Amino acid sequence: MSGSVEQPPQPANALRLHRQLAAIWATGPGVQRLAAVNHSVLGLRMMITSFVFFAIGGVLGMLTRVQLATPNSTFMDAGTYNQVFTMHGSMMLFLFAIPMVESVAVYLTPKILGTRDFAFPRLTAYGYWCYLFGATILTVSLLAGVAPDSGWFMYTPLSSNVFTPGINADVWLLGVTFVEISALSLAMEIVVSVLKMRAPGMSLDRMPIFGWYILVTALMMIVAFPPLILGSILLEVERAFGLPFFDPARGGDPLLWQHLFWLFGHPDVYIIFLPMAAVLSTIIPVFAGRPLVGYRAIVVAIVALAFLSFGIWVHHMFTVGIPHLALAFFSAGSAIVAVPTAVQIFAWLATLSHGRPRWDLPMLYVFGFFFVFVAGGLTGVMLAMVPFDWQAHDTYFVVAHMHYVVAGALAFPMLAALYYWLPLLTGRSTVQRLSTVAFWLVFVGFNMTFFLMHLTGLLGMPRRIYTYTGYESWNWLNLLSSVGSFIMTIGFALVVIDLVVQLRYGRRVRRDPWRATTFEWAMPIPPQPYAFASIPHVGAGTDRTEAGRIALSLARGEGYLGAARNGWQETLGVHMVSGKPDQLIVLPQPTYLPLWTALATAVAVLALLFKLYPVAIVATVVIAGLFVLAAQRSGHARDYGPLPVGRGVSVPPHTEVAEAPPWLALICVLVADGTLFASLLFGTFYLWIAAPNWPGGVSPDPSRLLALGAVAALAVGAVASRLSLRALAAAGGAQGWIVLAMLALAGSIAALVGMMGGVTPDPRTHALGATAVALLCFVVVHAGIGLLFLVSNLLRLAGGRVSPRRLVDFRLTRLWLDYTTVTGVLALALVLALPALVSVLGARA
Amino acid sequence: MNARGHSVPARRLWWLAAGFTVWCNALVLLYALHAIGCVFAWPAGALRWTLVVVFVAHLVAVGWLWRKAASAERGAAAGDTGNFLQVVIEWTMIAAFAATLVTFGPPLWLTACL
Repeated sequence: MSGSVEQPPQPANALRLHRQLAAIWATGPGVQRLAAVNHSVLGLRMMITSFVFFAIGGVLGMLTRVQLATPNSTFMDAGTYNQVFTMHGSMMLFLFAIPMVESVAVYLTPKILGTRDFAFPRLTAYGYWCYLFGATILTVSLLAGVAPDSGWFMYTPLSSNVFTPGINADVWLLGVTFVEISALSLAMEIVVSVLKMRAPGMSLDRMPIFGWYILVTALMMIVAFPPLILGSILLEVERAFGLPFFDPARGGDPLLWQHLFWLFGHPDVYIIFLPMAAVLSTIIPVFAGRPLVGYRAIVVAIVALAFLSFGIWVHHMFTVGIPHLALAFFSAGSAIVAVPTAVQIFAWLATLSHGRPRWDLPMLYVFGFFFVFVAGGLTGVMLAMVPFDWQAHDTYFVVAHMHYVVAGALAFPMLAALYYWLPLLTGRSTVQRLSTVAFWLVFVGFNMTFFLMHLTGLLGMPRRIYTYTGYESWNWLNLLSSVGSFIMTIGFALVVIDLVVQLRYGRRVRRDPWRATTFEWAMPIPPQPYAFASIPHVGAGTDRTEAGRIALSLARGEGYLGAARNGWQETLGVHMVSGKPDQLIVLPQPTYLPLWTALATAVAVLALLFKLYPVAIVATVVIAGLFVLAAQRSGHARDYGPLPVGRGVSVPPHTEVAEAPPWLALICVLVADGTLFASLLFGTFYLWIAAPNWPGGVSPDPSRLLALGAVAALAVGAVASRLSLRALAAAGGAQGWIVLAMLALAGSIAALVGMMGGVTPDPRTHALGATAVALLCFVVVHAGIGLLFLVSNLLRLAGGRVSPRRLVDFRLTRLWLDYTTVTGVLALALVLALPALVSVLGARA
Repeated sequence: MNARGHSVPARRLWWLAAGFTVWCNALVLLYALHAIGCVFAWPAGALRWTLVVVFVAHLVAVGWLWRKAASAERGAAAGDTGNFLQVVIEWTMIAAFAATLVTFGPPLWLTACL
C-alpha cells in the first residue's frame, strides 16, 4: 500500500482541501440528516440500529430463559411464549445479525478498499430506511401483542391462516420481506463497489482479504435471499387470497415452504459467518505482526464455502421423509463443508504461530471465537450425519449447536471488531480493565448457557416447549443455563458501560494505533465524510506500508482526485481485475428521495398487512414514480470526455463508459431475479412431483393464441429497444422505437392478464392453477418494470441526459427487455406444458 | 500506475465460479432425477444407471474445466494478477472435482428409493 508522493509537500493545501471537500460531501445539520447518503453516516446508523434490535432480541431471549429456568413456570403463558421466542429468533437473525454484518461492510469496505463511498449512495440510504421501517413494524407488533408466533422459520401449515388466523404470520412475511429489500439492495451495492471502486492499482491479488470475504458474502446474499422472498410472497398470497401453494388438501405441499426457507436459511449461516471471518483475517495478521498465511488458499476456501453452503439445505429436513439416497448427497455435502472452514482456521493459527503475536483486547475475543466456533463446527459435523440427526432433531442439542455457530461465531468476532475499530469510530482508546472483565463474563456466560443445552437436548428436551413437568431430569441443566444467560447479559451490559466510559474518558489515540496496513487507518479519525482527501495508489513493493505513514500525503491531496471540481462528489472506477482507473464516478449528493421512497414502501407494506389493497396499489405507483424520478437526477446533461484525475491520468465520467456501475448492478439484479424465477420453476415442478392431490380434477387449458401473442409482443418490445439503442448511438431519433416497445409491452401485459382470467383449475381451488397464475404474474410484473425503463428513457432523452456517448440507460433497458423476453418464454412454455405434465401424473407410483 | 494484470480480462472472473457451478448443476440434476425416478417408479437398475451417467458426466465436465484452467498461460507474461487468478481458479476446480466425487459418488451405491 502506498500514497502518492509525486508532488512536493504543500502543508497549507491540506486544510483548504479539507474545507472544500467537507463542503461538498458533508451531510447537513438538523433535519437534513434525514437526507444523508454517505456510507460513514449510514453505516454507523445501521450499526447502532442493529445493536438496538440486538438488545431487544436479547431481552426476549432472557425472558425465555426465565420461563424455562424452573419447571411448571407461570411466568408466561404458551401464547406469549410463542411470540417471545419467535421474535427472539427473528430479531436476532433478520434484524440484528444480517444488518449488523452489512453495517460493518457498509462502514468499512470503501475505507479498506481506498475509495470515498459506495457506488449507489441513494440505494444505501433506501436500504437503511427499509431496514428501519420493516424492523419497526415487527417490533411494534410485539408491543401490540400480535407478533409472529409460528417460530422463526414459520413452517407451514402452522403459519397458514387455518392455524394462525390473525395477522401474526402476515407481520413476519411482510416485515421480514421489507427488511430483505435492504439486505438485497446493499448486497448489490457491495458487489459493484468491491469490483469497480477500489483504489487504483489494487489488483485482485492485492485486494485486502476483507474485500474478498465481503464480495463473496454479498454475492451469496444476492442468490440466497430470493428463494425466501418468493416463499414469503407465495405464503402471503395463500393467506390473503387463498391460492393454495402450501395447502395439501388443494394440491399444495407444506414441504415446499421448508425447501424455499432453507435454500435461504443455510447459506445465511455463512452469510453471517464470512464477514466475521473477514474481521478475523484482518485483525489476526495485525496482532501477529505478519501477513496472513495462505491468502490464496483462503480465497479458494471462501469460494468453495459459498457454493457448498447452498447445496446442503436439506440437512435441515433429514426427518421429513426424503429417500435415503438423496439424504446421503446432502449428508456428504454437509460433512465436507467443514473442510474450507478448517482451511481458514488453520490459516489463522499458522499466521499466529509464524508471527510475534501481541496480546490486546481484540485478541481475547479472537480466542473466544476459536473455542466457540470449533465446538459449534464439531457438533455441526455430528448433525450432518443422518442417524445422529434423527436422534437430535428438534431437540435443544440443535438449539445449542445453532447458538454456537451463529451466535458465538458472530458475537466474539463482532466484539473483537468493535474494540479493534473503535478508535477509528471515536478517536479514543478503551478502558482495558472493564473490557477484560466484560469478555470473561460473556465467555463464561455464553458457554454456561449454551453448552448445557447440548445435554438437555441429548436428554430429550424438545425445542420450543414453553414449560416442562420437572420429572425429565432437565431441571438443574435448565436452571444453570438460565443463570449462564444472566451472566452473559451482565457481560454485554459491561461492554455497553465500557463504550460509554470510553467515549467520555478514553484517551485520544494517534492515527493507526495498531500499526495496521489497511487504508481505513490512512485517514483522519474519526473519518471525514469524503473519507480520503485524495485517493491512494497501490504500487509494487508498497503493499505492507503502515497506513499511518501515508495519511499525511493523502490529506495534502497528493493521491488521485486531490482537488475539488464542479462541486462534484468524485471517486474513481477501476478495471475489475487490474485496478487500473477507467472512469470518474460522480456520486449523488444528499437527498430526501430514499426516505420518501422507503416511506412509500412502508405504506405499501402496511396496506397489504391491513388488507387495504387500493392503498397498496397507489403506494406502489408512487414508489415506481419515485424510482423514475431518482433516475432523472442521475448522470450529466452533457458529454465531457476524458477528465484529469491526478498522477497524469485522465478518464471519462462513468456516464460515458460501457462498464459503468449501473450496468454491473443490473447484472446483479438479474442474477437475484433469475434465482427467484428458478425458485418459482422449482416450486412448480416440486408440486407436480411431490404434492398430494394432483392432478386437480380439471385439466388446465391455457389459451395458446394469447400465449403466442404475449411472447410475440415481448419479442417486439425487445427488438424495438435494441433498435432505439442503435438509433441513439447513430445520433438518430429513438423516440419512435421507444414508443413501439412501450406499445408492445402493454400488449403483452393485456394478453397475459387475459390468460390469467382463463386459468383452469380455478387458482383458489388447486395449486395447479395457482402456479400458472404465479408464473403469469411474474411475466406481467417484469413487463411492467420494462415499461418503467422505457418511460425513464423517454424522459431522459427529452432532458438531454443521454447522447451517442451516454448510452448506459438504453443499454440497461435492452438488457432488461431481453431478460424479460427469455423468462417470459420459459414461463409461458411451462404454463402451456402443464397439461402434458399433469397427464403424466397417472404413472405416479 | 502499474499495469500488472491489465491483460487479464474481467470475464476471466467467471472461471472462479465455473467448477462449483458444475457441482451445483450435478446436485440439482441428481436430486431431481432421483425424485422423479422414485415418484414414477422407474426400474431400480435404470434409475441407478441414469444417476451414474449424470454423475460421471459432471465429473468429466469438472475434470475438463480443471485441465483447461491448468493449461492457461503462466509466468511473467501472465503478470502477478494473472498468475494469482490462475492458481486460485485451478484450485477451485480441484476443490469442485473432489466435492463432486465425495458428495455424489458413494451415495449412488445406496438403495435408490428407500
